[in-house]
Parts: sequence; C-alpha cells; structure tokens
Amino acid sequence: MKEALGVIELVIFPGFLFLSWLALYFEWVDRKFYAKLQYRYGPLHTGPKGFLQPFADFVKLLAKEDIVPAAVDRFLFTLTPIMMLALSFYALFYIPIVPIVRDVAFGAFEGDLILVIFVLTIIGFLKFLAGWGSTNRFSAVGAVRTAFQLLGYEIPLAVALLTAAMGAGTLNISLIAQKISTDAILASALLPALAISVICFQAELERIPFDIPEAEQEIVAGWLTEFSGRRLALFRFATDVELTLAAALMAALFLGGPYGPAIPVIPVQVSYFLWFMFKTTVLVLVLANIRTLFARLRIDQMVHFSWRYLIVAAVAEAVFIQALLAMGVIA
Amino acid sequence: MLEESERAIFEVPIGPQHPALKEPILLLFKIEGDTIVDVMARPAYTHRGVEKATEARNYIQNIYLCERVCGICSCIHTLVYTQGVEKLADVEPPPRAKYIRVIMSELERIHSHTLWLGVAAHELGFDTLFYYVWRDRELVMDLLELISGNRVNYAMSTVGGVRRDISDAVAHQIKKGMEILRKRLDVYTEVVEKEPTLRKRVIDVGKLSPHDAVALCAVGPTLRMTGVKRDVRADDPYQAYDEIPFNVATYDTGDVLAQIIVRVVETYEAANIIDYAIDHMPSGPIKVKVPWNIAPNEIITRGEAPRGELFYYFKSNGTEKPERVKIRTPTLGNIPAVCEMLKGYHIAEIPIVFAGIDPCLSCTARFAFIDERKGKSWVWSGDQLRTYRRKYYKRYGR
Repeated sequence: MKEALGVIELVIFPGFLFLSWLALYFEWVDRKFYAKLQYRYGPLHTGPKGFLQPFADFVKLLAKEDIVPAAVDRFLFTLTPIMMLALSFYALFYIPIVPIVRDVAFGAFEGDLILVIFVLTIIGFLKFLAGWGSTNRFSAVGAVRTAFQLLGYEIPLAVALLTAAMGAGTLNISLIAQKISTDAILASALLPALAISVICFQAELERIPFDIPEAEQEIVAGWLTEFSGRRLALFRFATDVELTLAAALMAALFLGGPYGPAIPVIPVQVSYFLWFMFKTTVLVLVLANIRTLFARLRIDQMVHFSWRYLIVAAVAEAVFIQALLAMGVIA
Repeated sequence: MLEESERAIFEVPIGPQHPALKEPILLLFKIEGDTIVDVMARPAYTHRGVEKATEARNYIQNIYLCERVCGICSCIHTLVYTQGVEKLADVEPPPRAKYIRVIMSELERIHSHTLWLGVAAHELGFDTLFYYVWRDRELVMDLLELISGNRVNYAMSTVGGVRRDISDAVAHQIKKGMEILRKRLDVYTEVVEKEPTLRKRVIDVGKLSPHDAVALCAVGPTLRMTGVKRDVRADDPYQAYDEIPFNVATYDTGDVLAQIIVRVVETYEAANIIDYAIDHMPSGPIKVKVPWNIAPNEIITRGEAPRGELFYYFKSNGTEKPERVKIRTPTLGNIPAVCEMLKGYHIAEIPIVFAGIDPCLSCTARFAFIDERKGKSWVWSGDQLRTYRRKYYKRYGR
C-alpha cells in the first residue's frame, strides 16, 4: 500500500503530472498578468481565457522541424535540453508541494537545501554549455553573458536561501517550511531575504531586467539561438518548471510553503493545496510585475549591481538573523 | 597598441535579418572583447527604383508614387514633392492649403516620434513603455484618419494645394486630442527623467560631438541632439512655417538620452504648432489649378521630415513628365554619423544606438557601384540597367 502511494506521489500527485500542469499554469499566469499590465490581452483563444495556450505552444513546438546545424557539438546540443528539464523536475521533489503521504516533501532529508542550491547552479551552467556548444556567434555571446550573470546572482541567492536555514536551525526544506509557518517573528525577519531571492531568481530565470543572456534585440535569442523544434520545446518547458521551482522554493523557505493556519471544515491535505497555490501564485505575480517595471540592464551593470548591493544586503540579512538568534528573539 | 592581426578581433554581422532591425541593412561589426572597434554599413537591400519610375509617370501620378517612398513619413514626401512641382511651375498654393499641410506634417511628426520612442523602449528591453507609448500613439493615428480617411498614406497634398479641408468640428477634435497628448507626454517625460534602469542604458551611450555631427552631415534630431540648432522649418521656412512661432528643440549631451529628449520636446512643439495653426488658419480655397505640362526648369526643394532634412531635386522638360527626380531621405545622411556613434561601445548598445537615429532604410536604398580597390564609383543609367537585364535573362533564363 505504502509503495503504491509512493508511486502515485512520484508520478501523479504531486509528481510529474501535477508538476507539469503547475509549470504550464504558472506560464499562463505569468504571460496573462504581464500582458494585462501592458494593456494587452495575452493568451486568449486556446481554452478558457487562453489557459491551454502554454500547452498548445509546447505541443506545436514538439511537432516543428528540429534542425541540428552541422557545426554544433551534437553531444551537448542533445544533452543540455534533457538535463535542464530533468534537473528542474529533480529539484522540485525536495520541496514540499502538497505532502499528502508523509508530512514532508517526497525526497526530504537533512541537507536537501544544499542539494537544491547546487542543482540551481548546475541549471545555470547548463545554459552556458548549451550556448557554447551551439558554436553560433550570438549563442557564444549569450553563453558568456549567462556565465557572467551566474557569477552575479549565485552568491547572494545562496546566502539568502541559507539565511532561512539559519533562522530555522535546519537544512531540511520541509522542516524549515513547517517552522516558518508557525513562527511569525522569524517569517517577518526573513522578508528582506525573500526580496533578495526574488531579485536573484529573476536573474536566474533570465527575465527583465536581467534577460541579458537572451536579449532579443541584441543577440537574437542568446544561448537559445540555434535550438528549434523538440529541443526548444524542452528548453521552454524546463524554464517553466524552473519558474515553478523558484516559486515553490521561495514559498517554502520564506512563507511556509503548503503549511499554514488550518482552514475550518476543509481537510488538512486540501488546505495544503490551497495554501501552496495561493503563496506560489502570489510569488509568480510578483515576478511578473517586476518584468514590467524596468529596462534591460547591461551585463556589467548587472554584475556591478549584484556585487555592490545584493551581496552586501544578503550578508547583512544573515548577520541580522544571527544577531536575533544570539539575542534569543527567535529560537 | 597591438597590430590588428594580433588582436582578438571577431566579426559579428547584425542583419540583414535580425530581430532588432525592422528593415534590412547589414552592419558588420569588428569586435574586440565586448567593444566595437569598427563598423561597416551596407544599406542597399531594398532598392525599389522609385527615382527611375518617376520619369515614366506624369506629375500627378508621381504624387502617389512619392507618397510610398516611406511608410511613416508619407505626408512630408508628398508635401515636398508637390512643393517642388509648384516651384517648377511657378504656382503659389492658397494660404489655407499651406496651413493644412503644416497641420498634417506636424501630426505626422508626432506619430513618427511617438513610434520612435516606443521602438527605442523596445530596443532597451523596456516593453511596457513600448506598449504604453504605442497605445497613446493611436490617438494621433485616429486624428489622421479623421482628417484624411487613412492611417498611413494620407494623400493630402496635391499639386496646387490639398485635397481635403479641415472642418471646424475636426479642428476642435484635433485640439482636444492635443490636450490629451500633452498629458501623456508629461508621463513619459517623467519616466525618462526618473526610471533608473532606462537612464543607466541611455546616458553617455552613443555619443556624438557637434563637430563630428556637422562633418558627417548628420540631419534632424541626430544633429540637434548634439546642440547644433539646425532645422529646415526655421532656417529655410516652407509652407506656413514663417508665420508660426516655434522653438527648435536641441540638447547638448549628444547621447541617446539627448535623442529621446529632443524628440519628446519636438513632439510638444508639434502640438503647439498644430494648436497655433488651427487658431490662425485663414479661410479661402484649398487648391489652385496648375498647368499639365511644365516648362523646362531645374529646382531643388526641401522640408523637415521627422527624421531630418528631406531633399528633392527636379528637372522638367516641357512635357507632363519630369526629366529627373532625385530624392535624398534623412536616414542616408545619418548613416555615417551612426557608424561613428557606435564605435567604442558594447554589443549591448548596438540596437539602441542604431535605432537612435530612427533609421528608415527602405527609403534610403540607392543604386551605385563602388570599387574599393580601384577607388572608383559610378552610376548606371537606365539604358545600361536595361542592357544588363536583357543579358542576364538571356543567360540565366526567366
């Protein structure tokens, strides 16, 4: 029985099927909200209010011709889209989404936060490899920019995420989420870290103002330029899953993830689902809103900004949490 | 300094197909690291033979041909064309027609500059500003449609006057539209003055000195952003511009920010000119008759298009068709300047600096042969082109 439940949790809910749906749902939320803020309609025709448009785009790209230029590194060209999608999914299994069987995430163990941070870096590095392996001039420029950007956002992101672990006294994401959901003082003390990680994830996901590696007007599609058909579909889907990962991780570490005050009448598993959807959707809306507010920075300005301000802010926040711990304000 | 062969220079071609370019041009960049060392521009991908075609049509048919030289500044092309034909035939259009032409070309300037502001925002990756500006541009497009019935090719000027009058009701609508436009422009001025990421991308980028601007024959806003006060409307007033007070917008920093500010200020000025012209529009006829055949004569005429000085040369031969029409569009004058502006900046700045001159490439393509090694350049006549065509098709078939 337990094994059967485990298989369901891995494959159906909250496994691959639900996560895939979630990724496409977040893409729709992102696109629709972004469009609304710009006086556009956004996706409109496929499904109610264009809800199925991300799925339709995915299927359409799968059917398109998949061109492999003669000069590319075929190994990297094939490997990177698959790896990126696989790794994004992989990291999601360590994050509490809707923990129906046990009270923690599917793969939860002490130290899974370190693993997830590591996977996030590998995903950034895969983008570099994808661009570098394409041997296109625009791809090469995009790949180098990805690597530079990684230098910029990776450290403040890791520091900000680990600050939550410091506050909660554990490296297990599920346990951090449980602790945050019951400790309002800790949650509010971690809000600056949430702001820093929102900015860093905006850079990780390559969205305005940090869409420098795939700046359309400058370098066509950056590291993505040579990809088409199935590979491009996988990359786009992987980006959606990465968005889900970012929203779910931030929701877990700073807002308590699926755990929250019990809602009367409703069973606890359903309340997990509602809390999770509410928190992650709000985070995706925040990420989409940031996209509308800025012009694209230049790569040197981005690195400058993150080393001069973001890292300082992240370290200051960590010191602040340590001070609160030392004073016994949070336990 | 290392020799060129020792430096790690690689070439990046932007165009003829590139997302930042709306029309085809090849910009071949020599790049060292992330810095542009040299630029080679090759604009002639869309030669349409308009000048040649004018010789086969009569003066009335040519209005419609010249209107289609450019998709954005279609009004100023007909204005300068008809102004030239009137000068050839020595006819003076009625005063009311002159005012209507001014109103139309200023409305067109507003629509062109707001279009440019949107494109510039898009090139900076600031899509929200792009959508907002283009939404407000619809206001002017609707006014243009209200006056002429068309959004792109207004067909207003004709030889001897204009084809449609502006009624009092429409004039009232235009004035109301200008009020809303000024309010929206205030918002965009605030965005340009305050938005930090936008300012980071435009200040001290794509700099041009006033000396270089004049030496490289820059025209229009590209010249005025360096502080050189040169505008055909003020220096050589045509139509009713000598009766209308207005300021020539200049700015002194000569970077992309200056381009934006000059164009926004010019849009304000255009709104003022329209208001003044509507208030002071004389009554009377809008058209006079012009003879069909025009006696042999040779003139030049010019006007200030949204992008700069638009130049027409005419030669008539006593028939109903011109002997020669030569058009120089402003973008052609700005290409040497933009090549200079790009040097020394980063790859990331290519789109915004190039878009800064508001390039309109399809109007620009001209046909000339240049042999760099021999240092020779020459132009083919129509007969030579025809011979080449005959030989080509004989050889390769149809």
